Amino acid sequence: MQNDNIHEIISIRHLTDSTYIIQMSRRGLKFRAGQHILLGKAGSIHNREYSVYSGEKDSYFEVLIKEVDDGMVSKQLKKLKAGDKVQIEGPLGFFTIEPELIEKEKFLFVATGTGIAPFHSFSRSYPEIDFLLLHGVRNANESYEKNHYPKERHILCTSGDKKGDFHGRVTEYIMKNRVSPDTHCYLCGNFNMIHEVFDLLEQQGVPPEQVHAEVYF
Amino acid sequence: MKKIAFKTLGCRLNQYETDALASRFHTGSYQIVDFNDEADIYIVNTCTVTNQSDQKSRQTISQARKKKEDALVVVTGCMANNYKESLLESKAIDFVVDNERKASIYGIVEKHFRGEVADPEGFDKDVFNYEAAYKTFHTRSMIKIQDGCDNFCTFCIIPKVRGRATSRPAEEIYANIREVIQYGFKEIVLTGVNIGRYEDGDTDFEKLVENILEIPGDFRLRISSIEPDGFTHRFFELFAHPKLTPHLHLCLQSGAESVLLKMRRMYTAKQFRQMAEKLRSMYPDFNLTTDIIVGFPAESEAEFEQSVTMAKELSFSHIHTFKYSVRSGTRAERMSEQIGEKVKNQRSEVIRKLSEENKRNYYKSMVGKKQRMLVERIGGDGVARGYGENYIPIRLKAAGLVKNQFIDVEITGLHEAKELEVTAKVI
Ligand SMILES: Cc1cc2nc3c(=O)[nH]c(=O)nc-3n(C[C@H](O)[C@H](O)[C@H](O)COP(=O)(O)OP(=O)(O)OC[C@H]3O[C@@H](n4cnc5c(N)ncnc54)[C@H](O)[C@@H]3O)c2cc1C
Ligand code: SF4
Repeated sequence: MQNDNIHEIISIRHLTDSTYIIQMSRRGLKFRAGQHILLGKAGSIHNREYSVYSGEKDSYFEVLIKEVDDGMVSKQLKKLKAGDKVQIEGPLGFFTIEPELIEKEKFLFVATGTGIAPFHSFSRSYPEIDFLLLHGVRNANESYEKNHYPKERHILCTSGDKKGDFHGRVTEYIMKNRVSPDTHCYLCGNFNMIHEVFDLLEQQGVPPEQVHAEVYF
Repeated sequence: MKKIAFKTLGCRLNQYETDALASRFHTGSYQIVDFNDEADIYIVNTCTVTNQSDQKSRQTISQARKKKEDALVVVTGCMANNYKESLLESKAIDFVVDNERKASIYGIVEKHFRGEVADPEGFDKDVFNYEAAYKTFHTRSMIKIQDGCDNFCTFCIIPKVRGRATSRPAEEIYANIREVIQYGFKEIVLTGVNIGRYEDGDTDFEKLVENILEIPGDFRLRISSIEPDGFTHRFFELFAHPKLTPHLHLCLQSGAESVLLKMRRMYTAKQFRQMAEKLRSMYPDFNLTTDIIVGFPAESEAEFEQSVTMAKELSFSHIHTFKYSVRSGTRAERMSEQIGEKVKNQRSEVIRKLSEENKRNYYKSMVGKKQRMLVERIGGDGVARGYGENYIPIRLKAAGLVKNQFIDVEITGLHEAKELEVTAKVI
């Protein structure tokens, strides 16, 4: 086994019973906000894709993971502790923002669940970026470090309870609040949401080349 | 003189790599013989893209061993990467050489016959260390410009077996092309795993193609197979150049937006349609061919119908149909609702028939039109065969034809054979 892709866990923050953040050593590995890594326990042949949660300039790597009921890797990783080793492949992926657009354009980020991870990385890496983030979850306790975003830019859409900023799914929010066609839209999380939002954005006149998707499952 | 036989399974890239190896062995004083003949060395360049390719690769390996008990059997290619451990245990195989070291096979074989221990792992990894193949089995010269892929489409094993995307230095590519033009090749085919992602400093794929087109000489350039993502207007304009052939194998995979999303493809069906329509509006006879996967997990009848509709409307003149097959370690392996073989067979048959129909219509639409045929071979019956710039197989009977020569023809009709061809006359 090669040793050059082994990283040490610095800490694990448990945000809910099932969702946690692994912070690990960076070891100089470069990435662009929006990219993901393949992560697994050191020595294991199993790994999965996880978007990088931390910012491009942070001295560490972070990923935000939800333990999946029948899942394998998300369960294995949850059991790890500070000092344990993980294996990283990557960074990979093209869910990134062209540098020349960052300061010029406006962005809509739409996430479900842990699909918020790349948007956390965008907002941390590009503090000047003009964005609105819609985060769809069932209950407000799944808002995952809401305080890391400027208040007016983060809209928590809760479909279960009424403790979010908007009661309903992200799709309902978009139906009620039209997206202007000059917006660059990034969608991340579960397939159904992304599929529906694609259609909504098209109906609202956003050109397809301005819509980017990262399907988790 | 030792006899060596090669067998290639799978894609053009594998074919290119076999050709380059064969050429190396030829200059090294080995006699290249047919794979069905008795040889001292058998090289099997395997593929693992579907279950069927695994099976075919395994059959070919045991075929080689059966041909001659004491022959040296070398297995390389994507299966060698994907099933290395189990292949290493097989008694039918002497050496398993991974893709990254494929170019070292000549060195490995030489070392072996010198009586030294030839451990493939002891050779350097280099995916571009192939010499220009001047002695290939074809008249077209493939040029490898790129290897690997980072797209990780959920069905695809290639990123695992070919590794991360890497591009060959542009200067090396130009030099390689100048060399094969000098050897006399008239058609250059760019090859790689995901060539649209080519990047060497400031040279992206479009720039690379532009520069190749500026190389002097009587040749034409074919892009062949490319993933439909990230094209700029510049890409479409390239085809106005007389040396660039008006044909693309643009991989669609599915006509349903939902399936494309689950496949994690980098484009929508609408964007694909726009690209195809743009090509056809700029170059009306443009030949588009494609790949379609049928029976992707949970693919509904309605979603399949969207592939059919798209294939009809965009009139692909050839559709390579893949029945989805589970590849271990891919995301699609873990998707629920895998589709049964029976449905996959039915869907594959529908697309196959449609492909035949589209081909016929396309070839018919070309009757009366001009093509620049490259004569690839002349049969005993005096009939020359080759392709026009639009990648249509042409048969031509005329006096004084020479192999590897461009000849201007007019298409006169269709010729029914095992594969549909067109007939032509010299103009
Ligand atoms: C590019 C990319 C980036 C990703 N980034 C993240 C990330 O930042 N954070 C994160 O938590 N996950 C992310 N994922 C999903 C992640 O890769 C795994 O699929 C997930 O952690 C489940 O893995 P597992 O081994 O535990 O479950 P598996 O054993 O692989 O799967 C068990 C079952 O659960 C389903 N499933 C997979 N993911 C989920 C989910 N999130 N919710 C409900 N069911 C699911 C699968 O379809 C499967 O049927 C990403 C996926 C991709 C493709
Ligand atoms: S683009 Fe997709 S299908 Fe093509 S090689 Fe890469 S992962 Fe495979």
